[in-house]
Amino acid sequence: MKKLLAFLLALVMIFALAACGQTEEKPAEAPAEENAPEAAGDEIVLDVIICQYGPNTNEWFLGSGMNGTNFVAKFEAENPGIKLNLEVVSWNDVHQVVDTRIANNNPPDILNIDTFSEFVPDGLLMPVKDYCPEDLYNDFFPAFIAESVIDDTVWAVPDLASARALFYNVDLLKEAGVEVPTTWAELEDACQALLDYYGGEVYPWGIDMTTDEGQACFAYYAWGNGGGFVDAGGNWALNTPENIEAVEFAVGLVQKGYTNPNPATETRYDLQDMFAAGKLAMLLTTNQLPTYVADKGGNINMATAAIPANEGKTGSSVGVMDRIMVFKDDAAPDQAKRNEAIGKFLKFFYDPENYVGWVSMEGFLPAVNSAVEALVASDPSFGAWLDVLGSCQFYPAAKAEWATVRQGVTTVEQNALIGGDVKEGLDALQAEVAG
Amino acid sequence: MNSIHVKHKWEPYLWLLPSLLLIAIFVVFPILIVFKLSFSEITPGGVIGGFIGFQNFVEAVHLPPFKTVMLNTFWWVLSVVGLSTLLGFIIAMVMNQKFRGRKIARAILVFPWATSLVIQASIWNYIIKYEYGSLNSVLLNLGVINQAINWRTSYPIEFIWECGVGIFVTVPFVAFCVLSGLQSIDGSLYEAATMDGAGFWSKLWNITLPMVRPSLTVSTVLNIIYVFNSFPIVYTMTKGAPAHKTDTMITYLYMLSFYERKKGPATALSVIGFLILCLCAGIYMVTVMRKEETQ
Repeated sequence: MKKLLAFLLALVMIFALAACGQTEEKPAEAPAEENAPEAAGDEIVLDVIICQYGPNTNEWFLGSGMNGTNFVAKFEAENPGIKLNLEVVSWNDVHQVVDTRIANNNPPDILNIDTFSEFVPDGLLMPVKDYCPEDLYNDFFPAFIAESVIDDTVWAVPDLASARALFYNVDLLKEAGVEVPTTWAELEDACQALLDYYGGEVYPWGIDMTTDEGQACFAYYAWGNGGGFVDAGGNWALNTPENIEAVEFAVGLVQKGYTNPNPATETRYDLQDMFAAGKLAMLLTTNQLPTYVADKGGNINMATAAIPANEGKTGSSVGVMDRIMVFKDDAAPDQAKRNEAIGKFLKFFYDPENYVGWVSMEGFLPAVNSAVEALVASDPSFGAWLDVLGSCQFYPAAKAEWATVRQGVTTVEQNALIGGDVKEGLDALQAEVAG
Repeated sequence: MNSIHVKHKWEPYLWLLPSLLLIAIFVVFPILIVFKLSFSEITPGGVIGGFIGFQNFVEAVHLPPFKTVMLNTFWWVLSVVGLSTLLGFIIAMVMNQKFRGRKIARAILVFPWATSLVIQASIWNYIIKYEYGSLNSVLLNLGVINQAINWRTSYPIEFIWECGVGIFVTVPFVAFCVLSGLQSIDGSLYEAATMDGAGFWSKLWNITLPMVRPSLTVSTVLNIIYVFNSFPIVYTMTKGAPAHKTDTMITYLYMLSFYERKKGPATALSVIGFLILCLCAGIYMVTVMRKEETQ
């Protein structure tokens, strides 16, 4: 009897504590009606999830960061009959929140996130043409729109973008008599010269192979060696000799002592902190670095250059964009009215009067032509970055296997850091995603 | 008489009913759903499909990091629970002595346990940072070292740091559990043993340990479950890097579900973890109860 009691007691405790420690979502299937906008008379309610880009995001959308008011209040005042149920969610939580809502058959109406391809095969998203006003659609940079196409249909619109380039500390390089590298060979020479001159006081080169940015690291070196994620036909091409050489080169920089010591756990923000403190001479990062360094109180004499490429190869800047997408809601009583409300939301968001403030607030780059003039007028450095953005390559986020590839290349890099074989890792990843 | 008997028979269950209902709704029901999900197809977008048998389980155990993750989980639970139990016991013995400032010492002891795990892990991350870590700063200022030391040179060392933080935050819980047991021991038992010539070790072995065993059982079982399910320390310090070499089962299944979007195998792993916990906690409790029975 006591044994039975012991088992039962253990079971109850495990049930209780497993729930406390549980991180996996526990979705339940709910009736489709839950997804219907809560119509109160003629009012239409849109559920909106926005990702938190920085400390100002919440203030801008829900606080008083929009000249004393906020996005929701201003939108609702200008669009009577449409109510926004807007939630700002941190990047750490947003996938969990969205997945749980989908599993509960209660996805948001409008979602701002980075990837979209995982929702398309399940038929969860609406084609952009169904709700996006034509003049707004034509305002997006065509190259950006092209990154959200699956089977000739556009499934999401870009909300903002960032471009990556080489940032360097002008004073550190000048003092050591080092020229800005343009090729991999020059990069190694520059790193060695900085190492010799500063004797370990300054890291010559920053490298981030963490779970958050491993895919960017892969892109920097693979694209700079004529490789990449996909071939000319858009098929996965991960285990090419160019990619293998690129990852081995990046890992070689770490092994030669040219970089920050722990690339698998030191994030982009750790590197940017080192750069702001004058401990790091060069790093590949986003156009937001000057804003970041200024916010940290750093006073670094910095400049930018193209990402170094291998001899005889042409490098490419790396562009990263996030998106806005709309989920289907078959239970909505009036689909046309819902689409119209969503269109109004987008028009309001991308109106230069609102959008310019949003983009410049966190130092991002715009996704629509109409914002360019105002942004360049407010900060002339935007012009140069917009040129960089025009020549960027983007991650193949429209491919369904992107999530696996993103993590896969990071794992290959991290494995290589501890002595793993790059070719073996990329071969296995290629086999997994391409069959 | 009969009515009183009936009343007594049902009364405890009546009092238990609200708790049981809450556990059923908020704990048992969601866990049953996870069981159901583990046998269902789940798309990368999160849509739940039909029954697919054990396919998710087969896929989960064939994932390349599975073995490493299981081994890490074993060492994580063993080291954190084992060492925090040992250290917690010693600290409880010290805290049970009468000394000046005992109340303050007890209050300080509770801090690591009462603070959020994410904050603890983040603070330790800063303490052991190579560039600006306070550990290096203190040692450099004291002249113990001439130049900063990289405290995270390899993944086994990173994992040891994670276990260390786990032990640091778990020790207070064990100490307080054992302390409550120690305070319930009648002092006359020790006096009688001293009269009979028993030394420190003899008293520890024959009086203290048997008397605090129930407290130790509770703290150990709870810790096995807590530590096995602990997510914030590993996730905050390394996110399982490099290449899942520092992942435990819980952090790995999170990465699998939300980063790699392999939700089916992630749900299967969560069920496997639950069953392992049932087994471990069950075996431990039955063994301890059997010992108590024979004594």
